[in-house]
Amino acid sequence: MIKIENLEKVYKTEEIETTALNGINMHVKTGEFVSIMGPSGCGKSTLLNVMGLLDKPESGSYKFLETELLSMNDKQRSNFRKQNMGFVFQNFNLIDELTVFENIELPLIYNKVPATERKRLVNEIIERMNIVNRSGHFPQQLSGGQQQRVAVARALVTKPKLVLADEPTGNLDSSHGNEVMELLCELNEQGTTIVMVTHSSHDASFSNRIINLKDGHVISEKINKSRTEELI
Amino acid sequence: MFKLNFKIALRNIWKNKTSSLINISGLAIGLAACLVLLLYVSYEWNFDKHAKDDVNIYQVMMNHKGANGQIAETGPSTANVIAPLFKQKYSWVKTAARLSWAMPFLVSGELNSYKKMGEFADPEILDIFGYTFIYGNKHTALSTPNSVIVTESTARLFFGTTDVMNRSIRFQNQLDLKITGVIKDLPPNVSRSFDYLMPWSVYESQFSWVREPNWESYSYTTLLKIDPRANVSEINASIKDLYQKNGLKLKVEPFLFQYSSLHLYGNFVNGISTGGGIEQLRLFMGLAVGILLIACVNFMNMATAKSEKRAKEVGIKKTIGASRAGLISQFLMESLVLTVLSAVMAVVLIEMCLPLFNRLLAIELNINYSSVAMWLGLVAVVLVTGLIAGSYPAFYLSSFNPVQILRKRNLGRGIFSITLRQVLVVGQFSFAVILIIATTVIYQQIQYIKNRPVGYNVNELVEVEQEGELYGKYELLKSRLLESGAVSSVLSSSSTISKELSSSSGGEWPGSSEDDKLIRFNTMATTYGFVKTTGVKLIYGRDFSPKFASDTNAILISHSAMNVMNLKNPIGQIVNHHGYKSTIVGVFEDFILGSPFESEKPLIVGFSREWSGMVTMKLNPAHPASENITAIAKIVKEINPAYPVNITFVNQLYAQKLQSQKVLGILSNFFGGLAIFISCLGLFGLASYSAEQRTKEIGVRKVLGASVSNLMGLLSFSFLKMVGVAIVIAIPVANYIMSDWLKSFEFHTSVNWVIILLAAAGTIGIALFTVSFQAYKAAKANPVDALKYE
Repeated sequence: MIKIENLEKVYKTEEIETTALNGINMHVKTGEFVSIMGPSGCGKSTLLNVMGLLDKPESGSYKFLETELLSMNDKQRSNFRKQNMGFVFQNFNLIDELTVFENIELPLIYNKVPATERKRLVNEIIERMNIVNRSGHFPQQLSGGQQQRVAVARALVTKPKLVLADEPTGNLDSSHGNEVMELLCELNEQGTTIVMVTHSSHDASFSNRIINLKDGHVISEKINKSRTEELI
Repeated sequence: MFKLNFKIALRNIWKNKTSSLINISGLAIGLAACLVLLLYVSYEWNFDKHAKDDVNIYQVMMNHKGANGQIAETGPSTANVIAPLFKQKYSWVKTAARLSWAMPFLVSGELNSYKKMGEFADPEILDIFGYTFIYGNKHTALSTPNSVIVTESTARLFFGTTDVMNRSIRFQNQLDLKITGVIKDLPPNVSRSFDYLMPWSVYESQFSWVREPNWESYSYTTLLKIDPRANVSEINASIKDLYQKNGLKLKVEPFLFQYSSLHLYGNFVNGISTGGGIEQLRLFMGLAVGILLIACVNFMNMATAKSEKRAKEVGIKKTIGASRAGLISQFLMESLVLTVLSAVMAVVLIEMCLPLFNRLLAIELNINYSSVAMWLGLVAVVLVTGLIAGSYPAFYLSSFNPVQILRKRNLGRGIFSITLRQVLVVGQFSFAVILIIATTVIYQQIQYIKNRPVGYNVNELVEVEQEGELYGKYELLKSRLLESGAVSSVLSSSSTISKELSSSSGGEWPGSSEDDKLIRFNTMATTYGFVKTTGVKLIYGRDFSPKFASDTNAILISHSAMNVMNLKNPIGQIVNHHGYKSTIVGVFEDFILGSPFESEKPLIVGFSREWSGMVTMKLNPAHPASENITAIAKIVKEINPAYPVNITFVNQLYAQKLQSQKVLGILSNFFGGLAIFISCLGLFGLASYSAEQRTKEIGVRKVLGASVSNLMGLLSFSFLKMVGVAIVIAIPVANYIMSDWLKSFEFHTSVNWVIILLAAAGTIGIALFTVSFQAYKAAKANPVDALKYE
């Protein structure tokens, strides 16, 4: 599904130049659940942002289902993103002024889904995420775990081909964290491709494959046999 | 999408109640001020534009040439031959009418008698102005002799009803006029207003001098309705030498000027319109826009200050798929929602303030809710305001890069955003400081003119119009008034001492040349007691005195008249004036007869018992004024029972001369104060926001040992710095503008540095008060709360 070649990304400020990605090569197959790990500053979040078309690399190639994405302009990128990708963040990033229902509905609005269809899709996912009785609440009224479930629901409501998760359990205690990981696994089993950045090897153990980054390089790759066998 | 954005907008307003309140009320006050000014502008702009084809109505004006062949004066009055001549001679004249000025005459109806403003006009006036008739024929109502058209409220006043056709009112206790028409009351913004309108024939029958065709007495208004295809500049070229073509040697040139433009463009220099009221109107337009901008700046500042809070929303939306255009429209929408709320509040404010405003300015403004133009204007102002106020926040907020926002929770304070906000605050306060300085300079200038020596006892004089029996029984009146002890001196004169009403040229004196005949002298006629009653200061010679029989043919002249005539020893010199050879018996110091803003014109005071119309009395200071007035009123009523007694204090008449400047003073005071208030409201918002943002920093500093005053200094200084910069910018600008404004007055004060310093100190004081309130609150807060907050 994803093929990344020689990706390079440099951050420049007036004084320092930091190389975040230094010739990354990697691929993700359809239906895979990939974890990206590495120490702070290794470039894993940058890589995720590039994959999510939120950031532009200096050079390299990024093919998504054989389409080269790096040559697209902002508008095309934005369109591609909203049609194919869903995001889950460490700090949930829900809009405080919108209710749970409205937060989940938002990406559908941007995808110009008609109102009745929207209502159906949102209700369906709310039920699936087990947050039906929270749909009229505002984010601040929910626990962290519930907020992340809403965020996951929002990421999935458009039925994206790829879900990008950036330390989804970073702000949660372990029981809530496990809940979210199980949810992601379940989604993955239903066919959604997931790429997750994480610090936690416990979380990574839920994935099929773990990619280790350091100083902008892929230094190792490990297949998680217990899960991969299922895939095969 | 729209619904969702609308929801977000409302929820944001509700969530940040303080800042929303500051935003909405600041904007509401700004909008209200702007709308009131615009109402005033539209009131003035529509002056005299009520007739159906007002663009084709022209007034005949007269340029009077002076001694050097230049046009010395442009006057609105013509001789009584002009209108009939034009109508008969020129094909481009569709219709023409002569009008008198509205004058107060005694009118009696069935219920009562009042002095009400009456105007005389040719019947053609009905075709020119097209009054709205309630009763009567709108073409023929003035065609019958001794007829009269009354306004609705005049009819009510005299008969208690508007259905008064064919009933009679008695004019000046002499002549019955039959009512042939009742018209709607005239709108307040017309130059020619009256309570009742009489045909020209009544004017001619009542006043013999009106009857005689005359080319030289410029006492009447001539209005024309001309062919819309006519070329006015060609017409003006062709009628320029009208007087010469008709064999008259007078150096006057008639020309046409659009009637509805006269109100705003009525100042003439060298016979060319150089503006007039339009300048004040432009000033008010500027003020309206300025105040609204100040309010918009508040809005922008608050919105960008809150940008950190909104940044997350922008980041998420962009990640999920919002386009920049969509976000821009969302933020614009938000500002429009706020503006609409503000507009509602503004209309309420206006309704509350208009009565006060109208009373202060002596005008009649109101919001006409049924007017389409009013609504269109309001919608336009709201749209423009919303877009301006929302534009910067919209473009600024929507430009955020989602990665930066979402990754680094703290969106750094961009150098750009801070500077722009500072620039806006500085601009806002500069404007406010300029307004404060302007206000004080205007006030000082008014005081300066007010304090100019008037030259006569303005505070001790009262006057009564010499009408009815008072004319024939003047000597009786005089002796009875003096007997009563209410007055210490009495004088009959041709006109009030508080107005320039008559002038003449053609005078000759020893050593005068042919050119000197073009010099215009103000003239008035009095009887014995001129100097004694008015308190004018005599420099040479003496007052008129009954001891000298020849004084019936004597004149007094002003000091500037003496200078103009270039007389070394004026007393005893013979002057040919008004067709009489008169002897100068005295010279008095110039006094303010006309405008206190201009230097006095040369004045000749003649002696005449016949040319009189005003009785001026010097109150006896031994008794209280109210007692004196009661005594005078009683005597006047006894001698002249048919007329209501109307005693006027001359100092009130004098005060009217300062009215237009007073209006300017009131408006600039009021709106200058508003500008400061709105600016401070914005500063308050920014300070409270900054205090909120720095809660943690303040907490840490406090824990480390900072005192309350340390912290207040920390929080206040950055704001005061901006106000300081604003003052530095504003002072030279204000100084330049106001020095320029002052130069337009012949007599003017100068921009006073003490005032400027006081204005600066005052502004800093107000700003300090505003900011320190917030700073104190933040500094006094319990540091533990602040630290827990994160």
